[in-house]
Amino acid sequence: MEFEEIYALYSPQIFRVCMGYINDHEQAKDLTQETFISVWQNLSSFKGQSKISTWIFRIATNNCLRAIEKSKRVMKTELPYNLPSPEEDAPEERLAFLYNCIARLDETDRIIISLVLEDLPQAEIATIVGLSNVNTRVKIHRIKEKLAAKFKQHGQFD
Amino acid sequence: MDNLIDLKKIWHSAGTDDLPSPEEVMQAAKKFRNQKLRKKAALILAAFLLVCVELWVVFVYKSTMLTTRIGEAFIVIAGTILLLTNANSIGRFYRFNDFSNKEFLAFLEQTRLNQIYYYKKTQVTAFVFCSIGLLLYPFEMLYTSPVLFFAVYAFIILYLCVLGFIVRPRVFRKQAAKLNDTIKKLEIVSKQLN
Repeated sequence: MEFEEIYALYSPQIFRVCMGYINDHEQAKDLTQETFISVWQNLSSFKGQSKISTWIFRIATNNCLRAIEKSKRVMKTELPYNLPSPEEDAPEERLAFLYNCIARLDETDRIIISLVLEDLPQAEIATIVGLSNVNTRVKIHRIKEKLAAKFKQHGQFD
Repeated sequence: MDNLIDLKKIWHSAGTDDLPSPEEVMQAAKKFRNQKLRKKAALILAAFLLVCVELWVVFVYKSTMLTTRIGEAFIVIAGTILLLTNANSIGRFYRFNDFSNKEFLAFLEQTRLNQIYYYKKTQVTAFVFCSIGLLLYPFEMLYTSPVLFFAVYAFIILYLCVLGFIVRPRVFRKQAAKLNDTIKKLEIVSKQLN
């Protein structure tokens, strides 16, 4: 697979995962770029022991975790008491609200839920994060519950 | 959660049109690699040159005093310590490639612990060897001229004292505080995966 093809296929997904982790558009763009810089530099040495998507998501999520060292701040703004109902046309607000809810989770939970929302299979998420399949399933269940509680608190999913 | 489908719909509505083009990423990759490695490579090159020059001097300059030989040996040892530890740290940087998040967090933690060890032990050892080497090496050339002897030794001792008792402890305190803070944060995040 050529770099251009890989980039076209995965960069939107990687950006969304980075955005889910860091909740800042510019920082997420930087993390996406850093991820693909690593991909470009190491593509020739990629041994294919895992799926290419697993490899790329591992690089991306590890880059996100490195933000802990670089003291990049995760943006957390106040959650509004009530959001517009789903029928109302406010997609940006709803997306911002979702990012804010995710930003309130633990670091690794933010990564896991972002991968879930990207529709990655549980087994692949387990390989990326480094947990067993069972642990991953339990974690995903708990994170979904936490997220649902936050949405319900703010007038969503009645 | 029954509403996961709704969340996925919201999640996928994020705009990704303003991401850079693949060409821009490749351009940045070339620049990034050079910048990141330049500092480390310069240090390794400096240590390598120091060792080479010192070895060359050993063979060209036939000293008659043991102090000169010991001085040369100690400077070579200090240069070798610097060379090996920095080359090893570059190697570690290249070896991490396909780690899971859990492995990566452990790798980062170990790297930061290594760094603290480097500042605490390795750097001090290299500094001691280099200082003794610098003090012994010029003795043969200077002992016949008292004025020059005192002037050069006063300068070397002052330089080593400033470096060893003021600059190094200050840098170490700053770096250690930062590294310990990072290690604590990494430990907290690592626990999330246990």
